[in-house]
Amino acid sequence: MKFYKDHYDVIVIGGALAGLSSALMLADKGKDVLVLERHNLPGGIASSFVRGGIEIEAALHEMMSIGEKDNRLKVGKFFDDMGVDIEWLKVPEAYHASLPGLEVTLHPGLSTFAKEIDAVVPGTYDKVLSLLNLCNTVFDSVNELSIHPMSKAKMLLKHEAFVKTAGYTTKEVIDSFDLPKKAQDLLAPYWIYVGSGFSDLPFTIYSVLMADYVGYGSFIPRKFSHEMSLKMAERAEAMGVQIEYRQHVEKILVKDGKAYGVRTARGDEIHADYVISSAYPNKVYTSMIEPASEVPAKAIKMVNGRRLSLTAFSVIMILDDTAENLGIKDYSVFKGDTMDTDLLYKDLAGLGPYRYLTCICHNLGNDTATPPGTCSYSITTLPQVKGWKTVKAEDYDRVKHEVAKQMIDDMSAYLGVNLLDHILEIVIETPMTVNRYTNAWNGCIYGYAHTMEDHIIARLQTAEEESFIKHLEFSGAHAISGDGMGPAVTNGRKAAKNVLDTMAAEEAAI
Amino acid sequence: MKIKGFLKDVTGASRVTKARLNAFESASSAPEKTDPIAEVVKEWHPGKLDLVVKEVRDACKTAKTVRFARADGGKLPFFYAGQYIVLDFVIGDSVISRPYSISSAPFEARGEDPFVEITVRRSRGDGFIADYINDSVKVGDTFKGLMGCGQFYYEPLRDAKHVVALAGGVGITPFASMAKEVANGTLDMDLTILYGSVSSDDIVMKAELDAIQSDKVHIVHVLSGDEPDWQGEKGFLTADLIKKYSAEDTTYFICGPQAMYTFLRGELAKLNAPKRRVRFEVFGQAKDITTFPGYPLELKDKTFNLTVRRGVHEDVIPAKATESLVVALERAGIRIETGCRSGECGFCRTKVLKGSVYVCPENDGRRAADKDFNYVHACAAYPTSDVTIKIPIE
Repeated sequence: MKFYKDHYDVIVIGGALAGLSSALMLADKGKDVLVLERHNLPGGIASSFVRGGIEIEAALHEMMSIGEKDNRLKVGKFFDDMGVDIEWLKVPEAYHASLPGLEVTLHPGLSTFAKEIDAVVPGTYDKVLSLLNLCNTVFDSVNELSIHPMSKAKMLLKHEAFVKTAGYTTKEVIDSFDLPKKAQDLLAPYWIYVGSGFSDLPFTIYSVLMADYVGYGSFIPRKFSHEMSLKMAERAEAMGVQIEYRQHVEKILVKDGKAYGVRTARGDEIHADYVISSAYPNKVYTSMIEPASEVPAKAIKMVNGRRLSLTAFSVIMILDDTAENLGIKDYSVFKGDTMDTDLLYKDLAGLGPYRYLTCICHNLGNDTATPPGTCSYSITTLPQVKGWKTVKAEDYDRVKHEVAKQMIDDMSAYLGVNLLDHILEIVIETPMTVNRYTNAWNGCIYGYAHTMEDHIIARLQTAEEESFIKHLEFSGAHAISGDGMGPAVTNGRKAAKNVLDTMAAEEAAI
Repeated sequence: MKIKGFLKDVTGASRVTKARLNAFESASSAPEKTDPIAEVVKEWHPGKLDLVVKEVRDACKTAKTVRFARADGGKLPFFYAGQYIVLDFVIGDSVISRPYSISSAPFEARGEDPFVEITVRRSRGDGFIADYINDSVKVGDTFKGLMGCGQFYYEPLRDAKHVVALAGGVGITPFASMAKEVANGTLDMDLTILYGSVSSDDIVMKAELDAIQSDKVHIVHVLSGDEPDWQGEKGFLTADLIKKYSAEDTTYFICGPQAMYTFLRGELAKLNAPKRRVRFEVFGQAKDITTFPGYPLELKDKTFNLTVRRGVHEDVIPAKATESLVVALERAGIRIETGCRSGECGFCRTKVLKGSVYVCPENDGRRAADKDFNYVHACAAYPTSDVTIKIPIE
């Protein structure tokens, strides 16, 4: 029986957001694409599941880069352009920060945000706004330069702020604004979504994070992230993409330095001109390239020279009462017993107790999230991979319950309600859960850490030299733009663009 | 603008690029293949296992217990007491899967001589796999099995310490696993099993269960048939009986035949047990789909054409209106992965490309967006016209 065509233009390994974005863009340009997904549904962690008859979001807190319908940002615009019609709901606030001595809810809009900080820390409006404006200027430059690269000299003229902040950490730039500590603290909570302490986080990344989330707000699909993943998959199929689920790619076939196909666990050998891998470079270069002799030593040094970023630990609950009755007031709460991001980052290397928690109540952003009389409530921390690497299989269940219990107790104390008395359903997601369903290397959801040693600008500068195997591209959190569901889409598009550019260049050469 | 000084400011990009290349330069060139997170996952969820039958014994006059070990002798995966195993049966050209609650305990899967057991009652003529297990399975037979499935287990963060299990007939199996695990000291709860059987001959695993009674594990046999010599509880698992064994805060787990579910929903409602304290095992494949509300009775005798797409390959097979898409596929020898066969686990998630199906309302565990795009769980979907579906290549 023949299940595949003899040949495809491109095989995409992995049908999550990045892979599907690649597929959509390639199909839009008329390319013949095969997507092979190991699980039996699309999306990777951008998914949902049903427990006790109630559908539960698996991972999404809030999408960046969507924007309102009449003012779309790049990801929202991409979905619109591709005909992926998602019902986006705007998250009402930026976040509620619960920090030592501070209980503050902040809303999107740069000046609104600055005003609300000023109300708590008087006299900071101008400085905070100018910091946010700087972020916004850098953000605009990043967006423009990602489409229209230019010479360094020209860049300095047209994108001065971007160039001049490129070599600095977030801490260095924020310090130059001389803000009181409380104001600094209120500007820090989103840090967890990029996963590095401010002494190591490039200001460029902080700028994008703040300008995007604070400037334009964040969004969620009404029917959970599965709505987004499924609509992308459905649209891709309508555009002629072949998507096959439950197909685990074990090998990427390479000859003379060039990828030409894949082999699946089932034993199918499938050929294509290009392969786009959502599998981590760590996995690809250490065990997927066939023959292994095609892997250059430089590729191994590269993956060994990069630090894996964060994974996820989430306690997701359906509670047997409404958010209102339980005293849950905000869609999103960041709760920390310090806002020293460097210290918090160090804490994430362990197995808890974790001192920085992100809590989401979907019902407060989505009135149809759960059945009447119930609500969903999740408590998340995003630990470093290394602590969880020490957990043995026989201790796994105990450790996961201890960590979950601590997080539930912490938030119960905060809410003044014992959440344990209200649990209708509970799911504990761990790095192992991530690995089980997505096969992500080390269960890492964030790719490589955004650090000064692995700066996004440096990644862009050396991208070409790091293309060790021709006609093989990478697409996922481990690609240039890094972690997050929005950046996953950008990473997927970038991989597709590289393929299209190479196709065009090779055609021109003939 | 200025951060630290013109020269330092404008050379930032070069600086960070150099830093990155230096990091690579000084990194090790030894490939690091191991993923410790994935290793843990393998011990919990290794995928399909090759199993070999080690022992077949009577669990009562009408049921057998089958013991499996890993063909390579290795340890079996960790699982939670109450979960099920999916076994593949090769019958002629077809592979047919069935889920069975594991009746042995998790600790027994990890011991010196690791094993996993299922206990299956002979059918009344309508369950050929159940009868096959009772009549034909023997020591040395090999099977493929996927274990550690399902959500029917004690969750200490959610459930009350005092658990009353309501078991009907062979529905005792998940509770047998729990009881053994509690008796072993590796599961912490107070377990009372109210175990309904028709006659004393019918009581599955009686000797095994009675032997592990303790202050933490109570087994209360309840007979519905008329046996003059019976000293224990009699009748059905009524609200009054359940109340007698309940504590102020009790979690109820229920597993048994479909008719018992309907009855117990009524009885538990009388007790005003909060929703979060009542946990039913999945319903199982509908015995007779025509009895469910909204089923188009006028179609019940029809057989439709089912077009099955796998990749670029297409087959057309017959599909009876009263049989699920999964059964049609299995009859035709087309492999489809199934788990719970109750619409819950989603293993058999299938896209309906053309035509219409009836979805068993008791077993509709689909995601909202899946419903919008005509995805069904094929074990709970019945054709109501000629249908075209797409399923994964197995």
